[in-house]
Amino acid sequence: MLELVDVSRRYGQTVALDGLSLRAEEGKLLGFVGPNGAGKTTAMRIALGVLEPDGGEVRWQGHPVRREEQRGFGYMPEERGLYPKMRADRQLRYLAELHGCPPAEAAAAVTAWTERLGLGELSERPVEELSLGNQQRVQLAAALLHDPRLLILDEPFSGLDPIGTEVMSEVLRERAALGVAVVFSSHQLELVERLCDDVAIVNRGRIVAAGAVEELRSERSRPRLRVQVDANGDWLSGVPGATLVSSANGEVLVEMDDGADDQLVLDAARRVGRVRRFEPARPTLAELFREVVER
Amino acid sequence: MSLARATRLVARREFSERIRSRAFQISLAVTVLVVVAVGVIAGLVGDDGPQEYTVGAVGSGAQVVAAAAHESGRAVDVRIEVEDQPNAASARAGVRDESLDAALVGDSIVSLRDPPAELVQLLQQSSRLVRTEQALQREGLSGAERRRALQQPPLRSVSLESEDEGGEGVAFVASLVLYLQLIMYGIAVASGVVEEKASRVIEVLLATVQPRAILAGKILGIGALGLLQLAVTAVVGLAAAAASGAIELEGGDVGTLVVVLVWFLFGYLLWSALYAIAGVMVSRQEDLQSSTTVLTILLVIGYLLAFPAIDDPDGALAVVASLIPLFAPIIMPLRVALNAASPLEIAASLVFLIGGIALLVPLGARIYERSVLRMGKPMRLREAWRAARA
Repeated sequence: MLELVDVSRRYGQTVALDGLSLRAEEGKLLGFVGPNGAGKTTAMRIALGVLEPDGGEVRWQGHPVRREEQRGFGYMPEERGLYPKMRADRQLRYLAELHGCPPAEAAAAVTAWTERLGLGELSERPVEELSLGNQQRVQLAAALLHDPRLLILDEPFSGLDPIGTEVMSEVLRERAALGVAVVFSSHQLELVERLCDDVAIVNRGRIVAAGAVEELRSERSRPRLRVQVDANGDWLSGVPGATLVSSANGEVLVEMDDGADDQLVLDAARRVGRVRRFEPARPTLAELFREVVER
Repeated sequence: MSLARATRLVARREFSERIRSRAFQISLAVTVLVVVAVGVIAGLVGDDGPQEYTVGAVGSGAQVVAAAAHESGRAVDVRIEVEDQPNAASARAGVRDESLDAALVGDSIVSLRDPPAELVQLLQQSSRLVRTEQALQREGLSGAERRRALQQPPLRSVSLESEDEGGEGVAFVASLVLYLQLIMYGIAVASGVVEEKASRVIEVLLATVQPRAILAGKILGIGALGLLQLAVTAVVGLAAAAASGAIELEGGDVGTLVVVLVWFLFGYLLWSALYAIAGVMVSRQEDLQSSTTVLTILLVIGYLLAFPAIDDPDGALAVVASLIPLFAPIIMPLRVALNAASPLEIAASLVFLIGGIALLVPLGARIYERSVLRMGKPMRLREAWRAARA
């Protein structure tokens, strides 16, 4: 497990991280979301040892992380970084060897991953001759080659086409299933919601919400109901503790006061028509995000 | 991974990627061609091969003298062809139409204008020899006695200061090549640093290995390439010069070659640290030119100092310049080539140079570590310095 404990970092007068704490567990996908400039990249760089924190601590498997351990993590930076004029396969082999893979193992890993990511013979070309999507695949391979226990990816989905997004999602899920702790940042909240086990929302250098995606969605804000009924008109008024949020095409979103009885809503709906749908409506991650960030 | 292993991997990449690059192969080919050309031209200009003269001789006395001149000419690489002439008039005609360089008529040397000095000297000497022998014969000495009297060993030549042209040529070429190599490989280091910043590979690398390994590997890998290019250039250049007769390869030239390689190695370490600092202060190749200008000017000054130093390798300017670590890599090898440097000066130059490296390389590494992730507009020197001290 990776933990960031009360980590702070300033650039001159700018506070980038202000006591940020975070944990990423093995076997799980952690989505790291937050507005631009919230401190995501800084936090990731500190986790990897690329940057030093001014205060706080990075822990790995329960102890303060050692430099050597950090160098074993897999990293895909936001601003992609490859040698433009060097052949893709050669630089992948080089990076794998820098991670400590013996040459033969490095070569095998490069072949396996370039095949897996659909690069094939393209990997024999200099990186600058590859399309941006394929460069991104090379970059992903670079993070995976040495089979790291922790993967940190900064905006891995940005700029990917739907197929690329699918491949990336698949690989990340598969890594997590193999017991790797996977952390990635993204602005695509629906994707994070779909893909991740856990989410951490960062704003102004602090974590403002964190936990399992499901839990967050049910814990946060007051409970809501989604009701679809074959009726028009206002049938909800008069039900105690229920407030109309929105209504469209016979589908009504209702917010319940704490302790109010949702069965009374169902009764009221049945009185006016056939009830097609009656379910708790949990906020989406995007709604949650807006709520905690704008607060 | 250990620092040493990481450094080796980085150095290997620098070396193998660069040696594969078209740019390097072209630059090596051009350098070799230039050096070969310099060597061959020096050979053509410096030595036209054996001089040839055609001399007319009128009468048996003149023919004997001319034959003797032919013999002694062989010893000093001058060929004298003798053409017997029936009379003085035909000899004069031959001189006038330039089929003869000179003619021996009686007791005089006839030539069109001022005769070539070495030819006159050979003819005079032969004439003296022939007349002396005739005089000795008249005194009644036997053939063996005459030969003993006449065949005296020549004076041995001992030069206190070697001032042969070959030495100066080697010194000139050495300082030019060293200057070119330092500037070329210094800039290779600076632009290699910028390449990693501009392409953001640096972030991937920093997440993998120590910053020191990246810098050290880069400097050593590029340096190995520089050393290779210098060695190839020097060996090919010396071979071409020797083959064309511009210089004669001696132990001294091999010594000069070793000195050139050693001073390049240390000079490169010093200059590469400075160029690495210039590189790490900027994030784009476009900004590199202005950040390396000062270094380039300093190197040009070093090269310009080579001219007065070749003129007067014992002068105060040459001595001082060969001791200053920044200029020593260019000036000291040329002084050694000219046999002008005392062992003490050579040792002092090397000690100062290594001292400079011991000071600048850690400083460069520190600035590099602290600044390599800075992106955006070029840093000022003061900022880099402050980052290094923080």
